[in-house]
Amino acid sequence: MRPSAASAAPRRAPLLARANRRHLLRHPWQLALAVLGVALGVAVFVSIDLANQSAKKALSLSLDEVQGRTTHEIVASAPAGIPEELFVALVRAGVRPAAPIVEGSVVVLPRRSGARPEALRLLGVDPFSEAPFRPALGKLGGGKAGESGIDLGHFLTTPGACLLARATAGRFGLTVGDRFTVRVGAERRNLVFAGLLDADAQEASSSLADLLICDLSTAQEATDRLGYLSRIDLLLSADAAGQRELARVRALLPEGLEIQEAEGRLREGDEMTRAFRMNLAALSLLALICGAFLIYNTMTFLVVERRRLIGQLRALGATRGEIFRGVLQEALAIGAAGTVLGLGAGVVLGRGLVRLVTGTINDLYFALSVRSLALPPLTFVAGIVVGLGVTLLAALAPALEATATPPRGAMVRSLLEGKSRRALRRATMAGATLLALGALALPIPSLLASFFVLFFAVVGFALLAPGAAVLLGRALRAAIGRRSGRLGWIGRMAASGLERNLSRTGVAVAALVVAVSVTVGVGAMIASFRGSVERWLERSLTADLYVAPAEREPGFVGASRPAEMVTRLGAIPGVVRVRPLRRAEVSSPASGAGRVRLIAVDGDPAATVIRQGEPKSAWEGFARGEILVSEPLAARLGLKVGSVLPLGTAFGVKPFRVAGIYLDYASDRGIAMIDRAYYARLWRDDRISGFGLDLAPGATEAEVARVATAVRTLDPEAPLAVRSNKELLRNSLVIFDRTFKITAVLRFLAGLVAFLGVLSALLALQLERTREIGVLRALGMTNGEVGALVATETGLLGLSAGLLSIPVGFVLALVLIEVINRRSFGWSMDLVLAPGVFLGALALSLGAALLAGLVPAIKMARTSPAEALREE
Amino acid sequence: MRRNPRSLSLVLGLIGWAGLSACGDRPAEPTPAGTRGVASALSSDAAGSDLGFARALVPRPFLFPADHGPHPEFRTEWWYVTGNLISSEGFSFGFQWTIFRQALAPQTPDRASHWGARDVYLGHFAISDIAGRRFRSFERFRRGALGLAGASAVPFRVVLDDWVLESLTANEKSLGNSTWPARLQATAGEGKERTAIDLRLNQGVPPVPQGDRGLSKKGAAPGNASYYYSLPRMPAHGEIRLGGKSFKVSGLAWLDREWSTSVLSPDLIGWDWFALQLGDGPEGDDLMLYRLRRRDGTAAPESRGSWIASDGTSRSIDWRDLVLTESATWTSPKSGARYPAEWRVQIPREHLDLVIRPRLADQELDGTFRYWEGAVVVSGTRAGRPLLGQGYVELTGYADSAPPPR
Repeated sequence: MRPSAASAAPRRAPLLARANRRHLLRHPWQLALAVLGVALGVAVFVSIDLANQSAKKALSLSLDEVQGRTTHEIVASAPAGIPEELFVALVRAGVRPAAPIVEGSVVVLPRRSGARPEALRLLGVDPFSEAPFRPALGKLGGGKAGESGIDLGHFLTTPGACLLARATAGRFGLTVGDRFTVRVGAERRNLVFAGLLDADAQEASSSLADLLICDLSTAQEATDRLGYLSRIDLLLSADAAGQRELARVRALLPEGLEIQEAEGRLREGDEMTRAFRMNLAALSLLALICGAFLIYNTMTFLVVERRRLIGQLRALGATRGEIFRGVLQEALAIGAAGTVLGLGAGVVLGRGLVRLVTGTINDLYFALSVRSLALPPLTFVAGIVVGLGVTLLAALAPALEATATPPRGAMVRSLLEGKSRRALRRATMAGATLLALGALALPIPSLLASFFVLFFAVVGFALLAPGAAVLLGRALRAAIGRRSGRLGWIGRMAASGLERNLSRTGVAVAALVVAVSVTVGVGAMIASFRGSVERWLERSLTADLYVAPAEREPGFVGASRPAEMVTRLGAIPGVVRVRPLRRAEVSSPASGAGRVRLIAVDGDPAATVIRQGEPKSAWEGFARGEILVSEPLAARLGLKVGSVLPLGTAFGVKPFRVAGIYLDYASDRGIAMIDRAYYARLWRDDRISGFGLDLAPGATEAEVARVATAVRTLDPEAPLAVRSNKELLRNSLVIFDRTFKITAVLRFLAGLVAFLGVLSALLALQLERTREIGVLRALGMTNGEVGALVATETGLLGLSAGLLSIPVGFVLALVLIEVINRRSFGWSMDLVLAPGVFLGALALSLGAALLAGLVPAIKMARTSPAEALREE
Repeated sequence: MRRNPRSLSLVLGLIGWAGLSACGDRPAEPTPAGTRGVASALSSDAAGSDLGFARALVPRPFLFPADHGPHPEFRTEWWYVTGNLISSEGFSFGFQWTIFRQALAPQTPDRASHWGARDVYLGHFAISDIAGRRFRSFERFRRGALGLAGASAVPFRVVLDDWVLESLTANEKSLGNSTWPARLQATAGEGKERTAIDLRLNQGVPPVPQGDRGLSKKGAAPGNASYYYSLPRMPAHGEIRLGGKSFKVSGLAWLDREWSTSVLSPDLIGWDWFALQLGDGPEGDDLMLYRLRRRDGTAAPESRGSWIASDGTSRSIDWRDLVLTESATWTSPKSGARYPAEWRVQIPREHLDLVIRPRLADQELDGTFRYWEGAVVVSGTRAGRPLLGQGYVELTGYADSAPPPR
C-alpha cells in the first residue's frame, strides 16, 4: 500500500494544479483583476514610501552638504549674526578646527525672458577652514583643479565669484566666466560664475544642486552682512577632552551667542517635514487597506466559485492539506505577479509623487530639490512583504473555508451562505470590538496611537458594513412590502439578494464602504482645512496692500533704512497707515524648541483670533512685551497661557510669558508674536521684512491699483513686490491647493482600488449566478427584466455602500482632523460638511456599482436559458 | 638657496581646492597636487602672470627693521626658521617653523568685506623628536585678513592663527626698540599628538646677505632671482610640548628670509639645500649650500654656497669649487620616494671635508607639497682638525615619480 500511496501523491498534485490552473485560465478577467488589485495596492504603498524616502534623503543630503561633519555650531540669538571678530578670537585661542559660515538665500534672475526666477541657497565659506567639515567642498576639483577651472585666487579675490554645480549652471544657461544677477531681499547683486562645483559622487552633486558657493567676503557683501557670520562650525570629540573644549569655547562666547549641537539642524528639518510625511503615510495606509480588501475579495471569490471543483477534488481523494496548499500556492502566484507589477508601477508612480511631495516641502518648509528618485532596497523589501503577505493573509480565510468544507458540502451553496450568516455575526462583533478599541486609543496622545485609531476605525466600519447592508436590504424589502408589479418583485428579489449572496456581497460592500468613506473622509478634511484657512486669511488680511521682498526668501525690505521706508511709503497719496512687520528666527533653550519663528508686529486685535486666554488680558500682556504663540507652536512645545518660553535675545536668554494662544496656519512649526518695539530693543534689530498698507476706507479697485504702482516704482533699484489682500488670499489658496494635490491623487487611487473591488466582486457574483438566471429565464423572465434585476441588485449594493460610507467618512474626517492633524500639526479646524463631498461619494459608489453591473447584465441577458442550465 | 618661490606658487596655484583638503591641523593626506610636484610648477604658469609685481633685478641694501616685515610688491616671501635644540634631560629635537606669503593679485582688491584679501599664508610646523624617533608635521592655510594671518615690520610680527613669531620688545620696554629678541610659538594636533613650541630667539650673528649682496640668482634670465638674507645663528631657548610632556630646551636656530616674484627656470626638477652650523658651542662658522638639480641629474650653474665666519662676514662659494657626493639613500614608506640620506661635502679651498647625516631617517612632510626637511648632524675636519656641527637639510623634487607633464 505504501508504495502506491507514495506514487499517488505526485500524480494527484499535478492534477490539482492543472485543475486550478485551467479554472483560472478560463476566467482571465478575474485573474487579471486579482493581479491588478495586488499590483495597485503594492504600487500605492511603494510609491508613497519612495516619495517620502526621496524627500527625506534629499533633506539629509542637503543638510549634510551644508553641515558636513560639524558636531557643534556657534549661533547668535540676534538675527544680525555673530560678529566676525569672534572667529579671530577663537582661532587665536587655538580652537580648531572651526569654520565660519555666512548663509543666505538668493533668487537668481533669469537671463532669458520667460524663464522663472529660482531661489538658491547661498553658502559663504572660508575655503581654508572647510576641509575638516565638508569633504565635498574640500574635495572639490580634487586634483583636477585646472580642468574644473576653479582658481583659488580668482575665487578669493574677484568680488562676486561663486561656484555652481554643473546641472545648476546648465539650468541657468551659464558657462564659466559669465556674469549673472541675483536678488537678495530687495537688492540686486551681480555675481560671476567662477567655476564648477562638481563632486565625484552622484549623490553629492544632486545635493549641491541648490547651492551657490562663494567666499565669505562675497557672501557678506551679497547678503549685506558685513562684519557678521551666520554661524561658526566646530568639530568637538565626544570624549572628556571634547567636553573640556566645549566648556572652554562656551566661556569664550560673549552674551547673545551660544553653542549648540549641530545634529539639531538635521533633527529640526526632519521634524519639520515629519508631520507632513506622517500624513502621507496615513493616506497610503488607507489605500493599502482598500487594496487588502480587494485582494481578500478576489481570493474569496476564486475559492467560493470553485467550491464545486474543490468538492469534486475532495471526493476524488484530495486531502485537506493539498487543497489548502493549492489555494495558498495560487494566492502566492497571484501575489507574486501582482507584486512584481506593483513594484514597477510604484517606481513610475513614485516619480510623479516625489515631485508633488517636494513641491509641498518647497511651498511649506524650505528650498529642497529632489532630482532623482531614491530607490532604497528596504522599500522594495517592504513592498514585497506587503504584497505577498497581504495576499496570503487575505487568502488564508478562504483557504481555511475551502478546507473545512466536507466534500459533499462544498458542492452545496446554501451551506456556504448559511456559514456566511454566522460569519456576518462574527464580523459585526469584531467590527464593534475594533471600534471600541479605537475609541479607547483615542485619548492616547501619540501619533502612532492616532494611526491605530484610524486603522481601527476603517477596518471596524468595514466589518460592520455587511451587517448594515443586510439591515438596509431588509428595510428596503419592508418598504417595498407587498407591492405588486414588476418593480415590486424585482425590488424584492434584489433586496433579498443582498442578504442571500452575502458570501460575496458582504466583502464587496465592505470594500466599497472603505474606499468611498476614505474619499469622503479625506475630502471632508481638505474642505474643512481649506475653509478654515480661507476664513483665517480673510480675517487676518486686514491691510489693503502688502509690501514684501519680491520672493519668499527671508530678505529684508530696506534693510539699512527701515524708518525711511516707513516715511516714504506713508507719503504715497492714499496711504492712511503703514504697518511694518519683522520676521526672524531666534534660538530657544526650551527642550525641542530649536529655532523659533518670531513675528514682530504692532499688534492688531482685529486680525488675530485668540483661541486660548482672555483676549483683553492677552493684548494687555502683549503690550507689556509678553508673547502670543500660534496653536502649532503651543502644541509642539506644550505651551499654555501663562507658560514661559525662554528665547535667546541679544542680551542672552530671557523668559517670555505666553499671554495667549492664537489661530494661525502660516507655519506648522508655529510662530511667536511679539510687539515690534520690544523686539527691536531686545534683539537690536530694527530691520523690516514687510509692510501692510491701509488705504482710506472704501478705496476703489482703481485707487488700490494706483497705490500699488506707486509702491512698485518707489525705488527702481530695489523693486518691491506689492500684493493686494485679494491677490494674497488667492495666492495662498493656490499654494494650499498645490499642497493638497498629493492628497487628491491618493484619494483618486483609493477610489480606483474601490472601483476595481466592486467590479471584481460583482463580476464574480453575477457570473456565478448564471444558472440561477437561467432558471429565472426558463420561468419566463425577459432579457430586459433580467437586466433590470442585475442593475437593481448592483445599484442597491452601491447605494447601501454609498449611504454607509457617509457616516463612516464623517467619522474618518473627524479622526483625521481632530486626531491626526491636531496632534501632528497642532492645527485646529472647523469641520465643514460640504454636501458636495457626500453627494459625490454617493455618486461614486452608485456609479461604480452600476458600471460594474453593466457587463454581467449584458452578458446574462444574452445567455440562452438552455445554455445557462447546461451546467448540470 | 631656500625654498624655491615657485614651490609656493605651485602649492597655491595648482592645488586649487584640492589642496585645501590638506589644511587640516594634522599630517595631511597626500593629494594629487602634492605628487604632481615641483616639475610641473617649474614648467607651468600655474602661479599666473608676474605682471604687476616687482622683480628682483639688482642688488639692494637691506634696511632693518623694515626688511624683517612683508614685501607686498613681490609675489612670494617667507619667514623660515629651523633649529636644533637639546632638552635639559639631554634629548635632541629639531624644529621647523615656516610661514609663506603668496599674493593672489598684484593689488589689494577694493572690498567692503573684511574677508576680502589678496594674500594667502601657508604655514608648516614640524618637530623631530630624535630620542622618541618621531617626526610630526602640520600644515595650515589662511587668508591675510582680519589679523588671522599677516606680517608687519614694526612691531615685528608674523602670524598664522596661533602660530606666531613676534618681537618681544613691543611688550618689554627694557629691551629697547630692536626687533630681537622675538618669541616663536606654534600649537597643533590633539591629545597625544598635541605638539607645541614656545621659544625665545635672539639675533645672534647680524643679518647675512646671501648671493650677490643679497640678490640670489636662481636662473640665467634677469629677474629669475630673489632677495635673500639669513640670521644663521640665533640663540634659542624655551619649551617644547609633545602630548602631555614638556621639555625645557635650548640651542641654535637659523632664520631665512627670502622674497621674489619669479625664480626658477623650467628645466629644474628640485633642489637640495643645506644650512649647517659648525662648532659645538654658540660660537662657530656656518655653511649654506644649495644645489639646483636639473632634469639630466646635473647641478645648474646657479647652484652655490656661502661660508659665514663667526664674525658675520661671508664668502660666496661657486659650485665648481666644491664636491658634493651622496653616500646613502632612504626610501619613504609613505610616498615611496627615494631621498639621499648621507652626504660628503668637500671644499678644498676652505680645507673642509664634512659628512652630513640625518638625525632621523623619516623627516618627510607629506602635506600639500611633499618634501624632506630635517635635522642633521655634521662631522668632519677642517684643515685636518676634527669638526662637529648640526643643521637642517631640505630635499625637494624627489617625491615626484611621474614624468613632468608638458
